[in-house]
Amino acid sequence: MDPVAPNGNELLLALLAMGLPLLSFFLVFFVTRPWVNLSCAVSLVCSGLPLSAAVWLLAGHWRMEAPILWQLTWMEGGGALVTFGFLLDPLSLLMLVIVTAVSFLVQVYSLGYMAGDPGKAKYYAFLSLFAWSMISLVLASGLMQLYIFWELVGLSSYLLIGFWHHKFSASQAGKKAFVMTRLGDLGFFLGIIVLLLNLGDLSILGLNQQAAARLTPGLLTASALLIFCGVVGKSAQFPLLTWLPDAMEGPTPVSALLHSATMVAAGVYLVSRLFPFYQGSPQALGWVLVIGTVTMLLSSTMAMVAEDIKQVWAYSTVSQLGFMLMGLGAGGYFAGVYHLATHAAFKALLFLCSGVFIHQYATNDFFAMARAGARGLKVPMLTLTLAGAALSGVWPLAGFFSKETVLAALAELPNPAWLWLGILGAGLTAYYTFRLLFVMWRPRRLEPPPEHGERAGHGAHEGHGAAVYWVMAAPLLVLAALTVLLGAAGPALQSFLAWGRPLPAGAHHTWLVWASVLVVATGAGLAWLEFGRAGAAQQGFLSRMPGLWNLFANRWYLDWLYRWLLDHVVYGLFSRLFTLNDRRVVDGGIDGFCRATLGAGWLFSLLQSGLLQYNLFTMVLVMALVGLYFLLV
Amino acid sequence: MNAGFPYLSAILLAPALGMLVILLLPHGNQRAVRWVSLVSAVICLALSVYLYAAYDRAAAGLQFVERASWVPSLGIFYYLAVDGINLPMVLLTSIVFFTGVWTMWDLQHRVKEFFALMLLMVVGVYGVFLSLDLFFLFVWYDVSLFPMYPLIAIWGSTRKEYGALKLTLYLLAGSALVLPGILYVYFQSGLFTFDLVQIAQAGLPVEAQYLGFFLFLFGFGVLAGLWPFHTWSPVGHVAAPTAVSMIHAGVLMKLGAYGVLRVGMFLCPQGLGDWSPLFALLATVGIVYGAFVGLAQTDLKYVIGYSSVSHMGLVSLGLATMSQGGLSGAVFQMFAHGIMTALFFSSVGHIYDRTHTKLIPELGGMAKVMPRASFFFILAALAGIGVPCLASFWAELLVFIAGYRAYPVLGVCAVLGLVVSALFMLRVVQKTFYGVKNERFAQAGDMTMVMIVPRALLAGTILLFGLLPRLALDLINTGVAPLVGMFK
Repeated sequence: MDPVAPNGNELLLALLAMGLPLLSFFLVFFVTRPWVNLSCAVSLVCSGLPLSAAVWLLAGHWRMEAPILWQLTWMEGGGALVTFGFLLDPLSLLMLVIVTAVSFLVQVYSLGYMAGDPGKAKYYAFLSLFAWSMISLVLASGLMQLYIFWELVGLSSYLLIGFWHHKFSASQAGKKAFVMTRLGDLGFFLGIIVLLLNLGDLSILGLNQQAAARLTPGLLTASALLIFCGVVGKSAQFPLLTWLPDAMEGPTPVSALLHSATMVAAGVYLVSRLFPFYQGSPQALGWVLVIGTVTMLLSSTMAMVAEDIKQVWAYSTVSQLGFMLMGLGAGGYFAGVYHLATHAAFKALLFLCSGVFIHQYATNDFFAMARAGARGLKVPMLTLTLAGAALSGVWPLAGFFSKETVLAALAELPNPAWLWLGILGAGLTAYYTFRLLFVMWRPRRLEPPPEHGERAGHGAHEGHGAAVYWVMAAPLLVLAALTVLLGAAGPALQSFLAWGRPLPAGAHHTWLVWASVLVVATGAGLAWLEFGRAGAAQQGFLSRMPGLWNLFANRWYLDWLYRWLLDHVVYGLFSRLFTLNDRRVVDGGIDGFCRATLGAGWLFSLLQSGLLQYNLFTMVLVMALVGLYFLLV
Repeated sequence: MNAGFPYLSAILLAPALGMLVILLLPHGNQRAVRWVSLVSAVICLALSVYLYAAYDRAAAGLQFVERASWVPSLGIFYYLAVDGINLPMVLLTSIVFFTGVWTMWDLQHRVKEFFALMLLMVVGVYGVFLSLDLFFLFVWYDVSLFPMYPLIAIWGSTRKEYGALKLTLYLLAGSALVLPGILYVYFQSGLFTFDLVQIAQAGLPVEAQYLGFFLFLFGFGVLAGLWPFHTWSPVGHVAAPTAVSMIHAGVLMKLGAYGVLRVGMFLCPQGLGDWSPLFALLATVGIVYGAFVGLAQTDLKYVIGYSSVSHMGLVSLGLATMSQGGLSGAVFQMFAHGIMTALFFSSVGHIYDRTHTKLIPELGGMAKVMPRASFFFILAALAGIGVPCLASFWAELLVFIAGYRAYPVLGVCAVLGLVVSALFMLRVVQKTFYGVKNERFAQAGDMTMVMIVPRALLAGTILLFGLLPRLALDLINTGVAPLVGMFK
């Protein structure tokens, strides 16, 4: 399909969506920062208008026939051409709506959550910076533009994770997130260079249409895998997954926006964006499937033992991203994208609900929240349950349908093992989700919570009334509605993403639906036995297996491995050796040379003693030697 | 020949006259000294911005030419001109000069001598960038190096005598290679002229180019911080006072790379083919090595010094690729790195002024104590690790692409250096600025609005060229293109 140029209306709307958040960033950061309320207002307007523009664009192009492309030359030199522009097609429009919607809701929610924080205006500036980068990433017309904004969302993530940087753990987590994703981006960058040098064309449409035909299979697979390295970093896949749980040090709305719904999903978005390109290389898709599966199972096990509510959702995010990649790896384009959309709604909801509890009880430990009477907060408790049910895939919520599409895609694979691993993952998901829900719901004797959550010391209890509560509760209700409705929107979305063409009739596996329902019920039932029923000990079966418990609680010792590598290889070996070399060998050599010069000067100075006898003696000696020389030669 | 107003001579004259006026002022009149320096800096800045805007990018080539015979019998010309390569350098010098003068506004110790020497150094720098005559170029080159010794030894800190001596001797050793190189080229060309353009057009014998490039590469390479001849740079930067560090790391190191490009590559285009693998190797080692050594430093200025070694390695790598993208990237990187380092040293200078320490373990939590200074430092650090939409990103992008194309293995290693430099910059940012408010320096005081101006100018330049890279690259591409044609 050849792209068409945008008409004036489309151009205006798309540029508004891309430009306003940047404007808001500069305005808030450099001008209005001292006036907190004004800053919030600027930021909210500049995230609300892009949302309207996005919805308008989506509605206007529900039956679009050709992608809309607009681009300018951003930089040119040495055969590298970087364009800046936008590409509107069903995928980018859908993602644009997701991003702007979650972004707007989170900004509204943050009005309450961040109330009274001295850095509130700066926080809104960073949120605007993130919105700008993310929207430009989603709409990118070329791979280089995508990479640039990919890095910039990484920067906003760094700034927002470390927002409360007076806490050492927060600044540490921000640094870790930046460096680990940068490690993955190394591959991404090299992949882009390989494509640039061998193909010369980095436009997304060009890559999708021609790469498979114009590249040798080896180069295609190599570049696809290199680009996938970036996905592994950004979407926190194995083995670079440990930064995401640490990133929960950021404020909860940030976790909802960046580290569950949008930014970390950018990796999945990239694979979907380049899906025809990836389809050209079955080996690359095979790796996507393997990495997705390993990540999903590994992080589900980590979620089973976590006691911090945000950690549970963080592990769950990692595992669900792996699940989306499984769908894509199995060749299910719609499956991956659909699960991305529903996950954005229910996972953002889960985080925002948790944020209300964290704000209220100043603790992140959900056992402590339950003891403090969490079930008394009706709206968040109900929406949390709804979103949790969607996450585990309970009919008729959105998560059920999208999970089934992914499983259906896995069922198409010749090897049934992938399907069973996927179903196993669904069972683990149900277990850890319901474990948390049952703990929260179960009446307990009330006791005051210990103050060690992320908002400890922020005076969470005093000063805020019903207004704050409702500012935070309203986005919950919107997201809850989406969590329910998106389930029914599946077929419509599928036809939209397929450019309205009739869909190939996929095999319907009725047995598959029953199997997965059964597995979810088993997982939930186990959680009920251990945590939900009256008189339950509230201790998982894993606590009786200390070996496994330690393995899961320590993240399969991945962090330990990275720490070891950093301490012993980067700092201990390279940094130390190079520094020693610099001081002793390189600089020492120079200093030695200088000392040798001085020494030689001292030696020669001995000749100039000013004593006549010595001078005469030397003279005679030299003359004798010269004479000897001529005599003998 | 442009018959119009001699803009280039004016740029050269403004600081020179400024220096003379300062020398004639009575000793106690520090206010006047500062104002004279500032006025000459403003004139230079205004003229450079005008030149940058007025340069005809479509026509390209040498413009605003001023050429007069000086010593006809020896073939020495007073020959000034700008093209796409040195115009960004002139703009860079003017920005750093202006911000440097403003940064040193509060200096109390021997104000007159300081500013006189600083202006002398700047005259030399402008002279090197503007001259297309080898004789003048060399003279200006040494004029720009000599003032470094007193500037560091009198107004410096942290082993200042040692640093000053080391730096001066090291750089003079480099220029001791450049001089024979120039004379060698002078005689080998058979033209007996110092006119750079004439020699280049006539072309040297290939064997002469081979030896000539070697002399220029290592002679100028020392000043560019080429590994392993880089150790003067961190030591010197640490010892130097703020504005001198700014000019030194920001502009003087570029003189070296500029010399390699303008003299070495321009005169010996066929000679460098054999040297370029070695050049690229040294450059890449510098990139990775500088980052790893930076990881182990505890002094803020040492950290910046080693980051300069790493970033100047990128310039060298770009030059070594001998391709349009690599050269454009290298020139842009010189500009971007100059602005960035000036911002680094300028922010550290403020921190050091107020806290009297630049040791990272003693600082910490500075973001709460001096948010403005911290903002500028963090912005420079982000530019340093190649965050997009900040100027260095584009330069690094071009260099990496060209580097990978020419030397795939070295290119990958250089990109790897990017991760290490992210690690060490963020580590410094975390340890120095994040954390709980440092009560020891609670009274230290942030930058005043007046002191923000130079930093804001530098930060604004980084952002402007980061968001609109074509502002620089369209110009640089025109300057580099004829050179690339000569390699073939």
